[in-house]
Parts: sequence; C-alpha cells; structure tokens
Amino acid sequence: MLPVSDFKIRKRNSFNLIGRVRVKFLIIATLLVSSVFFAQLVFANALATDGIKLVQIQEEINKLEEENINMRTEIYQDSSLNSLNKKANQYGFENSSFITSF
Amino acid sequence: MNRIKLFQIIIAIIAVLIIIRLFYWQFISDISIGSDAFLKETEIPASRGEIYASDNFPLVANQEAFLIYGKPHELNQPVTDIAKKLAPNLISPKYATVSAGLSEAESQKKDQEIKDKEEELSSKLENKNLYWVQLARKVPSAIYKNIQNMKIQGLGFEKDEKRNYPEASMAAQLLGFVGYNKFGQDTGYFGLEGFWDRILKGKSGRLGQEQDPFGLPILIGKYQPIKPKKGSSLYLSIDRSIQFIVENELKNAVIKYGAKQGTIIVANPSNGRILAMATYPTYEPEFRLEFDENLYKNPAVADNFEPGSIFKLITMSAALDSSVIEPDTRCSCNGPRQIGGFEISTWNKKYYPNSTMTEVIQHSDNVGMTFVAEKLGLNKFYEYILKFGFSKATSIDLQGESDGSIRPKNEWREVDLATASFGQGIAITPIQMVQATSVIANGGKLIKPSIVVKIKNSSKEEILQTDGGRRIISQKTAAQVKEMMVNAVQNGETKAFAPKDLRIAGKTGTAQVPVAGHYDPNKTIASFIGFAPADEPKFVMLVRFSQPSSSPYGSETAAPTFFIIAKKLFNYFGIPLSN
Repeated sequence: MLPVSDFKIRKRNSFNLIGRVRVKFLIIATLLVSSVFFAQLVFANALATDGIKLVQIQEEINKLEEENINMRTEIYQDSSLNSLNKKANQYGFENSSFITSF
Repeated sequence: MNRIKLFQIIIAIIAVLIIIRLFYWQFISDISIGSDAFLKETEIPASRGEIYASDNFPLVANQEAFLIYGKPHELNQPVTDIAKKLAPNLISPKYATVSAGLSEAESQKKDQEIKDKEEELSSKLENKNLYWVQLARKVPSAIYKNIQNMKIQGLGFEKDEKRNYPEASMAAQLLGFVGYNKFGQDTGYFGLEGFWDRILKGKSGRLGQEQDPFGLPILIGKYQPIKPKKGSSLYLSIDRSIQFIVENELKNAVIKYGAKQGTIIVANPSNGRILAMATYPTYEPEFRLEFDENLYKNPAVADNFEPGSIFKLITMSAALDSSVIEPDTRCSCNGPRQIGGFEISTWNKKYYPNSTMTEVIQHSDNVGMTFVAEKLGLNKFYEYILKFGFSKATSIDLQGESDGSIRPKNEWREVDLATASFGQGIAITPIQMVQATSVIANGGKLIKPSIVVKIKNSSKEEILQTDGGRRIISQKTAAQVKEMMVNAVQNGETKAFAPKDLRIAGKTGTAQVPVAGHYDPNKTIASFIGFAPADEPKFVMLVRFSQPSSSPYGSETAAPTFFIIAKKLFNYFGIPLSN
C-alpha cells in the first residue's frame, strides 16, 4: 500500500504550478487582445469619421472657391472700363472733349 | 464525441482555407499599389496665371467652366432627344447666351449652328462602344447649370477652367489667347499668352489617395494628393486708361479715314515700357473662333512695312551724329534728281532750293534726303540702320515678332541708298520704329521695349528691370533732331492740325505700298511718329494706317489722330500746356 502523504503532495504541486499560471495567462491574454481589438475599433472608427469630415470640408472649400471665382468675375465685368463707359453713356455723361472749361 | 470531432475538423478546414486565401492575397496575387480598387489617381490641372494691367486690374482672369461628357451606354433617353436638348446650349457662346436682339441673318446662322450641333452630338452619343465621349469643353457655369437641371442620366461634368476677359476685346492682339495643344491641354498662342506660356500655365497636380470601398479617403494611406501649382501672374506696363483712349480713337479714325487697318503704339521712351498697343480691326479672345484667323497676329510687332518719311528721322540722326551735316547745312534741292536711272522727286512735286536740313525735314523733302544720304555714304548709313535696331527683332516679350527686312549691304545699289534715306525699299516693324524714335526722345539710348514689369506667384515676386540701354547717338544729335521734329509739327504739313499749346515733336510718313514689283500710287501706309512733351517726353507714339481711302497722306490722317490722342494724354498725365 502506498503512503497517503506521498500521493497528496504530488497532487497539490501539480495543481498550483501549472493550472494557476495557465488561468492567469489566459485572463491577461484575453484582456490584452480585447483591449487591442477595442482600441483598433475606436481608432478605425475615428479614422473613418475623419475621412467623412475631410470630404465634407473639401466640398465646402470647393464650393466657396467656386463662389469666390464667380463673384470676382462679376466684379471684374461690372468695373471694367467698357462697362463703365456704357453705363456713363446711359446716364447721360458726356465725353470730356465736348465740355468747355473756363 | 464524433460530432465534436466533426465540428473540430470543419473549423480546422475553414481556418486552413482562410490561411491559404490570405497567403494567396499576400504573396501570390499581384495587387498593385496603383489598383483602382483602392487608389484614386487623377491629374489636377493647374490654374493659369492672370494678366494684370498697370493698375492691377485683370485684363485676363480665370472663370469657372466645365467639360461635359456622355456615357453612351448609360443614357436613358433617345440620343436624338438628348441632342435636341443640349444643342442650343452648346453652340457658340455668342448665340447661346443671347437670344433676343439678333438680326435675321444672325438668327438663321444660329438655327444652322443648332442643327449642326445636334447632328454632331447625336453621332457622338450613338456610339455605344465608347465608354466616355467628350461633348463640350469650357462650358460657362450658367449653361452648365441649365444642362444639369435637365437631369439627363449618362451625362457627366468635370471642372475645366476658362479664360475670362473683363475688358472684352481690349488689347486682344497683345494678350493672345489660350487654345489646346495636340494633347488637349491649355496652351497659349500669340502675344503674351504665347510668349509667357511656360510661366503662365503652372504645374499640374496629382490626386493619388487610398480609399475605402465607399470611396472615402484612408487618412493613414501612403499616397497623399500633390497640389497643383498655379501659374505665375503677369503685371504689365500697359496703362488701362491709355489703352482705352487709344483703342477708341483708333477705331473712330479707321472708320473716319476708311483705312483697311490701323495700329497705334504708345511707349515710355525713358525705359522702353509699352503703355498701350492697339490694332483695329481687332477680335474678342473669348469668341475668337467667330473671327478671321488673320486678326490673331499683332501687326504692331509682326507686320513688315515700308516706313516712308518717318524714316527720315533715322537718316538725319545718322548724318548729324556722323558730323557730315549740321542742321543749317544747305542743299540745292531745286528739282527732281536722276539716280541710277530712276527719278527721285518730292511727294507733292514742290521744291525748295537752298533748304537747310531743318527745312528738309519740315517739307519732308525726298530730294533733300538723297543729298543727306550721299553725304553719309552707304557704309555709315547701313551701320546706323543696324545701330538703331532695324533688321533684327527688338526682343519685346510678345510672340510672333518679325525681324523686318533690310537687304545685305552688298546688294544695295546707288538708288537703294537714295530711296532708303526716305524710307522706301526697306521694311521695318512698327515696334522697331518706336524703339528707334525713343532714342531721339530719351537723348540717344537704344532701350529694348518691354511689356511685363513683374511676375508674381504664391511664393515669390520677380521685378523685371529694363536694361539701361546703350548709347547709339550723342545727346547733341538727339536734341538737334528733336528740334527739327518740333519745327516739322509747328511749320510743316501738319501745321493746320497741330495743337498750338502743346510742344510736340513729330514726323509724318506716307509710303507707297509695293504690289507685284511696283508701287501702287493709290495704296499707301500713312503714319505719324512723335513724342511729347518735346523737352521731357512722357510718351512716344506711332500712329499707322494701312490704305486710308479718305486721304492717302499721313499728314491728313495719322497726324490728326496723333494730336487728338496726345491732347488726352497731356490731360491724363497732368502735363501743363506750353502756353
């Protein structure tokens, strides 16, 4: 018959050294993977949202630039000498050569 | 137990398949970086630089415009219907934007253009083998909005910036225009657009950016867009007010005198800067296709013409500078002369015996000029012709400048020396004559004419300095010729038209036009060149009319035009009157 104490000691050693380390490792690894996965999700989401924002900002810039160009074109046309000359004639202004000065 | 094993085997197989697939994508499949699946790469055309007058008002700017294209296989309406809808919008902008106020002939032309455009569009859109077909370029935004509102499926639009001319046809031949090169890219032709094309056009950018499956940019992607670099802008010495005055007066004069064409150049003689340069008839760069192609070139720099009597100033300057004559040297000049078998006579068959050189210029005496040329001799005369810059381009910053035409010295006969002394038998350009007269105005220095004063882009600004010029005649000679010119204006043929209260130095010219080996007495080039105020010149101006019909003479056509403009310029510059 084998001594009872020998059997007990062997069993206790096996459970503490291998089993407890494995469980801790698994818990830490799971936490690590989960946090990495979660962080990736957060960053990916942020990047995706930034992409949309970037497109929106770019569209807004383009729109403003277009309006700016159109308004500038209108200002140039209205303030050109040709246009002012036509308007002056319409409003009855006369060429300086027809005016006698004393 | 078997079911668990089966499940494990299925999981293992799926895992292996995924690994194999990943291995294939990673190492075997050739997914290039430039694949359209996740990388968008397009060329972004650069905006062209603007062109500004001396008051910083743009003579040429950019305006929003669009390229319209069709995808024939995506059209959901009959091609003929689409063509009918689009055609009235895509004809010449002259008709597309104006519907009322067209004459009957113009209406008919418009209808014909619409019909032709319909056929053109139909033939383009009917070709179902094409994925993409270009329908129109540089479509103004108003028309683009019209077409967009039609909501035609299968049509697309791309930005395609267009040149805008706030002053319409002002300085058209000077500015040139933008057309397409063989690759369909914007390219400058003629004038400043042609000469400065490389500077104006800038550098295209590239849009290369990784995208997700929804087309949104991936910000951590390797490829970022390269922004286009806008072309540099040009700032000119052209004074918009002077240009406006000159163009209006030129147009009036060409119509009044029934001339085929008129050209005026106004320059600052102290630095060679061009203040105005105009030709009539002209064209509108925006609608250039509506005009005759012959109008595109700038006669002020491209035309060779026989200058006639205005060239006497050069002969006289050369002779005075060589000290072979003095202003009070007298010539017999008592009648026509026979030289090399040809008779040389005066323009009005009047002769002034025992004339001084000042009087020779005053009467524009051809016989007197042959006397001067003989005193000078061929070698000296030829040397001064070259010194004054004739026979080679002035290198003004405009495309299409001509060299003029002066025959090699060894081909000159006795009669050539005589005729060249009064400006016949040689061909020069208007800008060469302005450059040469500026020498007299500024006290003897030949200065290269120029138009662009400053080149500016977003990062730097470059001022283009004028060269100091090089002395070709003495100050004394310049002053003597100037006094001769003042006398010619006050007491010569132009006496009746010359303003009494302005001290103007000038000389008329009337040159016969060579036609098929002989001179046509009814076709002349009438001109007047001068500067003012004579003692401290602010401007030198050439007025030239081709074949005026009301009078062939420069004294009755070009000179009055010169004086009208000179009066306005005195007013504009705030120059006090002499008396």
